[in-house]
Amino acid sequence: MSSKQNIDDSPIDFAEEIIHDYKNSKDEGVLKCVQCGMCTSTCPAARHSDYNPRDIIERVLDGDKSILNDDLLWNCFYCYTCHSVCPVGNSVCEVNQILKQIAISNEIGYDKLYEYMGFADSYFTAAIGAIPEIFFEDIKKDVPGWWEFRQNLGEIRDELELTPPLMPSKEVIDEVSKILTITGFKEKIEKIRSSQEVSQ
Amino acid sequence: MRDDLKVGVFLCECGGNISDVIDLDRVREELDVEFVGQFENLCSLNGRKIIRDAIFDHDLDRVVVAACSPISHEKTFQDYVKPLNPYLMDMANIREQCSWVHDDSKKATNKAITLINASIEKVKQSDAVDPIYCQTPDEVAIIGGGIAGMNAALSLARQGTKVTIIEQSPSIGGHMAKIGKVFSPVKIAEECGMCLLNPILNELVWNNNIEVLTNAKVIEAERRAGTYNLIVEQSPRYVDIEKCIACGKCAQVCEVEVPDDWNDGLSTRKAIYRPFGQSYPESYVIDMENCTKCGECFRECNMKAIKLRGKNERIPLQVGSIIVATGHKLFDMNKRPEYGYTRYDDVITQSELGRITGVNGPTKGKLLKSNGEVPKRVVMIQCVGSRDEKPDGHKYCSKICCTVALKNANIIKHKNPDTDVVVCYTDVRTPGMFEKYYKHTQENEVRFIRGRPGEVVKKGDSFIVRTEDTLKGEFIEIEADMVVLSTAMEPSDGTIEIAEILNIGTTEDGFIKESHPKIKPVTTDVQGVFVCGTAQDPKDITESIMQATASASKVSEYNYGGVEIEPFIAEIDKEKCNLCGDCIQRCKYKAMSIQNDEIYIDPMACTGCGKCLIGCAHKAITVNGNIDEKITATIKGVLSKKQPDERTILVFLDNIGYTAADNIGVNRLSYPESIHIIKVISVNRVRPKHIKYALENGADGVFIGEFPGDLMYDEVERKVQRVKKTLEELNEDPERIAFSKVYIPYFTGLARKLIDFDKQIQELNEAES
Repeated sequence: MSSKQNIDDSPIDFAEEIIHDYKNSKDEGVLKCVQCGMCTSTCPAARHSDYNPRDIIERVLDGDKSILNDDLLWNCFYCYTCHSVCPVGNSVCEVNQILKQIAISNEIGYDKLYEYMGFADSYFTAAIGAIPEIFFEDIKKDVPGWWEFRQNLGEIRDELELTPPLMPSKEVIDEVSKILTITGFKEKIEKIRSSQEVSQ
Repeated sequence: MRDDLKVGVFLCECGGNISDVIDLDRVREELDVEFVGQFENLCSLNGRKIIRDAIFDHDLDRVVVAACSPISHEKTFQDYVKPLNPYLMDMANIREQCSWVHDDSKKATNKAITLINASIEKVKQSDAVDPIYCQTPDEVAIIGGGIAGMNAALSLARQGTKVTIIEQSPSIGGHMAKIGKVFSPVKIAEECGMCLLNPILNELVWNNNIEVLTNAKVIEAERRAGTYNLIVEQSPRYVDIEKCIACGKCAQVCEVEVPDDWNDGLSTRKAIYRPFGQSYPESYVIDMENCTKCGECFRECNMKAIKLRGKNERIPLQVGSIIVATGHKLFDMNKRPEYGYTRYDDVITQSELGRITGVNGPTKGKLLKSNGEVPKRVVMIQCVGSRDEKPDGHKYCSKICCTVALKNANIIKHKNPDTDVVVCYTDVRTPGMFEKYYKHTQENEVRFIRGRPGEVVKKGDSFIVRTEDTLKGEFIEIEADMVVLSTAMEPSDGTIEIAEILNIGTTEDGFIKESHPKIKPVTTDVQGVFVCGTAQDPKDITESIMQATASASKVSEYNYGGVEIEPFIAEIDKEKCNLCGDCIQRCKYKAMSIQNDEIYIDPMACTGCGKCLIGCAHKAITVNGNIDEKITATIKGVLSKKQPDERTILVFLDNIGYTAADNIGVNRLSYPESIHIIKVISVNRVRPKHIKYALENGADGVFIGEFPGDLMYDEVERKVQRVKKTLEELNEDPERIAFSKVYIPYFTGLARKLIDFDKQIQELNEAES
């Protein structure tokens, strides 16, 4: 593969855009990357998939916007290991979040977000984030004992003499729902849902 | 009369360093003097002609140079004002203390005008005086007996200078003694380090000009103009080095076994031991922390050399100059638990690998794992603690680790060609001829993987090194049975301690800072103190020796050329003096003595602090150079055009405090424009009348800083307290005066104190209005 850089190309603009994002806490971190790969060497997603945090930064520095369409972007689950080990004080994890946000703003990745809709719904029904039911089967497989624990949580709490968990009241739920509606969260969720449900 | 003097002001743009922030056109308009000139680079040789011509053409009596700090270029401009006397020139520091600390162009320009006006007023009070030349003692203390200190000592001793090496461990030799093999990039081969070190050691031992103090540390240093009085504390060896013949019978009978630090703890030694085979002094030593005082060695020693009792001895040392060669230590691997160093015996450092492969090491040079087997694969991890911006890491590159790894990889390949050696690197830094050695290493089938490993985990009998092969873009797990970490070089504890004792500046990384990184690589910011070796920054043996010999050469310049002393010192009117001796008692610097029935003042020792003036009943003492008048004139100059809404704080600092203040500018930190720093010969010369004058004439606050190592520190502190009390009695707010410690290395602290004091004064002003 070869590529050409014309005299007026400015690949660094993409990195600048990320540096100036309000979510970026690492100043010029992206620009100081020397591609040492320490992030990738400790990244759980890299160990179990083709996700490569070093490669994310390389593509950002190259101004390669096709990364926004790359499915691999969605394999990072924010463990922040890369963030804590980076020798130059960069955070791929944050960069990843910024990239995803840009992708979403460009209506990219709705299919990925769709799987998480259960989380969004739980804010409206309970005013807190709850694990969506569609994940239960996978967790049952991956975490031995989790299902039994969940089924018997009431009894376990009784045994430990714990009071029932404190849940947000109806007023709180109503208020949170109101905020989420006014701020446009609800509209966005509906847009994502409809885009997926129509296409299905 | 002095008001009629013709003053010329020369403004330097400093290639934009000044003119980019300060509006020099406005400065020129605002000055009311005989002549004002402006130039791009006044310190260049053209400056000499420009200044001299103006002096002749305008018949100038006094000159003000508004440019950088006098610390940088006072000597240059004192020379450029010839035929005027050098002390008829004064510098207004509009760079380090104006354009480099202030961003607001308008405010900075106002301040520059004020600083120049203060200099004009001051220089009008100056009188022509001649500098005094002095000779320093031709004796040198070298702190640290490693390869740098030894070479500096030899170079000076061969030139006839008396040298004392002060080494804190029981033997000189330093890191090089334990390094095993060394290599040179030109000869593509590794050779025995000890064989190169030994001739140097031997020559040093036999040179009559060199004295070696081991188990010794400098604990106090007092500087008097060109002379240092050091107090060296030597802890007992418990073995008489005159009697001991190093037969080793004592160690044979000793039953205590402790880890041998010379072998990085990979083997054990006895409580009575010789650090290594060629150690000097050639004598055993007792490690009293571990000795059980069983007396076996005492009974065994035919030479009666062992003395189980002993205490620390304090040795005074007077020298003309000091070379700091206190070296480095290695990065503490407790800070990187992810590499498993503290958990697994076969995760080692390059230093330990050097011991293992050294023929005088724990395995007699055989590459063996802790279980006695030869490793099948050794993985080296580079940049451990270096090039690492994490809070406990070092941002710098330790410079030698790439070549050390190559050397040790080659040594392994020579002895054990079947052992696979993999170097995990970020960049291989082999500049110049070292590149050839890198190619040689590749030819020896050492493998290189570009990637910085994140962790080492144990799996069965071996390790897994997790890294990314960044050239392939592939995450890989490398199985290894030995892992070697290339740890960072950092300043040794001794380096950090001596910087504090001698009050020499350090870098943000804690190394000794040279006075200019490019053109003054061995001098420090303290006159008469020089630096060499890894105390200054990471470097290899060759570079250490080069810097050591360079520092020896600088010491010689200093010793043979003498020192120029500012002439602002005390003088005795012999007619008035009745030899009462009050001044001798009073002088903290021991500058006064009676010689041939006259008071003699040692110009090297006198600082011009003026303490002697107070007690002299016959007013027989004066301090040269109109100091009092100059201070008053400077204050007057700063305050003369003060606007009602302006806040003006006067800060009095001597050479040390002033250097710290310059460092704020050099490091581009900032403080408020209200701060006006006035340089004085000695803070003690700021009299209560000066402080009173300043506050009565519009100063909002007065800040006095003093280095706690100065002999006058307590005196000045008491004086400030007294002035505060007097102010209180006069219904003035004593909080308008501040007294503070200043240190050259701690310029950030000074900046913060100035900011805080300005805020405090602002609050006082608001409360009063």
